[in-house]
Amino acid sequence: MAVASRPSPIAWLLAPALLLFVLFFVLPFGVMAMMSFYSGNPVTNPNAFPTTRHYERFIFDTAGIFHDALWATLRIGFITTVVSLLIGYPLAHWMARMQSRLGHALVLMAVIAPMLTGIVVRTFAWMTILQDRGVINTLLMEWGVIGKPLPLMYNEFGTVVALVHIYVPFMVLTLTGVIGRIDERLEQAARSLGAGRLRAFVEVTLPLSLPGILAGSLLVFALSISAYVTPSLMGGTDVLTLPMLIAQQVGTSFNPNFAGALGVVLLLVSLLIVVAYNRILARLSGEQGLA
Amino acid sequence: MISRRTVLGTGAVAAATLAAPSILHAQTKTLKITTWGGKWGEIMKATVLPAFEKEFKCTVQADQAFPFVPKLQASPKNDPIYDVLHTNSNEQWNCLVEGLVMPKITAKEVPNVADVYPYAVSDKIVGVSIFTSAIGLGYRTDKGLAKPTSWKDLADPKLAGVRGGYIIPVNSLGQCHLMMLGKVYGKGLQDLDAAYKALEQLKPIKLVDFTGQMEKMLLSGEVIEGVIHDSGVYRYDGQNQPVDFASPSEGVLALEQVLNVTPGSKLKELAFGYIDYMLRPDVQKLLAEGVWYSPSNKKVKLDAKYDAKLLTTEAKVATLIQPDWKWYNARKEDIDARVTKILKG
Repeated sequence: MAVASRPSPIAWLLAPALLLFVLFFVLPFGVMAMMSFYSGNPVTNPNAFPTTRHYERFIFDTAGIFHDALWATLRIGFITTVVSLLIGYPLAHWMARMQSRLGHALVLMAVIAPMLTGIVVRTFAWMTILQDRGVINTLLMEWGVIGKPLPLMYNEFGTVVALVHIYVPFMVLTLTGVIGRIDERLEQAARSLGAGRLRAFVEVTLPLSLPGILAGSLLVFALSISAYVTPSLMGGTDVLTLPMLIAQQVGTSFNPNFAGALGVVLLLVSLLIVVAYNRILARLSGEQGLA
Repeated sequence: MISRRTVLGTGAVAAATLAAPSILHAQTKTLKITTWGGKWGEIMKATVLPAFEKEFKCTVQADQAFPFVPKLQASPKNDPIYDVLHTNSNEQWNCLVEGLVMPKITAKEVPNVADVYPYAVSDKIVGVSIFTSAIGLGYRTDKGLAKPTSWKDLADPKLAGVRGGYIIPVNSLGQCHLMMLGKVYGKGLQDLDAAYKALEQLKPIKLVDFTGQMEKMLLSGEVIEGVIHDSGVYRYDGQNQPVDFASPSEGVLALEQVLNVTPGSKLKELAFGYIDYMLRPDVQKLLAEGVWYSPSNKKVKLDAKYDAKLLTTEAKVATLIQPDWKWYNARKEDIDARVTKILKG
C-alpha cells in the first residue's frame, strides 16, 4: 500500500529561511526586474506599457556615463576584494592557529569591534583622517613634509581604503572558520617530508583554504559593488558607481524603472563574474565547484 | 462568594476599559504628512504638531525618512501614503507631472494664503511655499577672504580645491547654482551652454550631496567658500563660528519649503487645515526663529536679530530668483549626464 508522502522535519525547519528568502529577495527582485521592463509603475499608472528602452538606454549609453559607472563599480569591488584578502588572510591564519583561547578571543573582539559602529560613522571617521584638512595632511603640512595636501580622498584610493576597513572583518571571519578546520598535521607532514615553511603553506594550507577564500572574496566583492554610502562620501567628483546612479534614479530622478534596469544589469554582470571566479578556483584546487 | 454574574460583569467592564483607547483611536483621524528632521523636526514634534493635534482633534503621522516622492509614487493614487507632502519646489513639480499633488493651493481652501508674499504662490510654485531660504555663498571669515559680492567670486583661482558645490544630479541647490551660472555668464537661467562652460572653470571643486555636509565642510575649513542657503550659515549664529553668508549682487535663489495636498487624500479638509495652521503667524514665527527660515506670511513679526537677516519685507523677497523647475525637470537626465562628465576627474 502506498504511503502518503509527508514533508520531512528538515523541510519544515528550512521553511522559515526559505520564506525569508522568497519575501526579501525573490519577491523584491522580481518586482524590480518587472518594473525594468515597463515605462512606469503598472500598478499605479494605467498608461504604463512594456518596453525595453531602459536596457537600450544602458547598452547604447548615449549619455556616456553608464558603462564607465559599471566599470568603476567592478574595479572598486575587485581592488577592495584583493586588498581585503591580502590583509585578512594572514590575520585569519594567525587567529586560526592561535593556541591561547584568551588571545583568540581578544583578537576576535578586535576584528569584530569596528562592526559595532555604523558604516556612515566609520566613513565619516575616514573623512576626518584623509580629507585635505584631515589628520594626515594637516600633520604632514605642519611638519613641512608636503606643501599642499596629498590626494587621499575624493578619489578611488580613499574609497577603497574606507571599503577595505569596513569589509576586512567579513573576510577574516569567513577565512578563520575554514583555516581552523584544516588539520595542522597535514602541514607538519609536508614539512617532515622536506618542504619548507613557504612550500608547505603554498601546497597544503592554501589549496585547502580555497573554499574560504572563495566565500570571503564573494562576500566582500558583493558588498563592495553594492556599497552606496562610502563611495558617495569618499569618492567626490572622481567616483561614480552603479549603486550611486541607482540611488539618483530612485531618489531624485524618480525613475524606478531605469533604476531597476541598472540593478538587473549589476546583478547579471556580478553573477557572471562569480561563476567565472568559482570555476577558476575550482580548477586551481582540482575540485568541481567550490560554492 | 463571587457569582457568575459578577465575574461576567467585571469582565465586560474590564474589556470595555481596555478597548476604549483603541476604539477612540480608531475614531480619531490620522493625518499623514512628510516633514524634515533635525532642529525643524524637533520643534515640530515638541510643539507644533501636538498643538495641531489638540486643536483639530486628530493625530499626525509624520514621515521624516527621505526620499518621500518614491514612496508616494509607489502608493495608490486613490489612497496615497501622505495627505500633505512637504518638499522643496523641484520635487513638487515632478509630482504634479505624475498627478500626485494638486496644482495650486488658494485662499479658498487655505485662508492664510491671502497673507503670503507673491513668491509663495507664484507660477513657479506648485502648492504653497510656507518658508524660503536664500541660496547664496557661505564663506570663512578667518581665511583673509573678502566678503563675496558676486557669484563670479567663486571662480577666483585662489579658491581652487577649497570651493564647494553640490552633486548636481541629486541636490536642488546644485541645480539652482547651475542655472545661476547660466544667468551670470550667459543669457539667463536657461542658458545651459554658458552654465556648463562656467562649471568647467570651477574645477577643482569639492562636491557634497546635501547641505548639512556643506555646513560641516565650511566649519572644518575643508571648503572656505561654497554654495549654501542662508539658514545653513545663520543657524550657527552666536556659536562663535568663523562663517558668514553673502547674498551676491546678481540675486539669491529661492529654496522654498512647499506644502501640498495629494489629490487622493481622504482627509483633504484636515490637510488644508494643516497648511493653514502652518501659515499662521505664531507658528511661522516659532519655526522661522528656530531654524532661520524666512516666513512666507507677510504678517509675521520676527525678533530684531532674525528680522535683520531674513527675507521679511517686500523689498527683500524681491531679490529672490525662482527657477523654472518644470523646464529644468524636463531636461534633467541630459543635464545630469553632462555635468557628471564635466565634473568627473
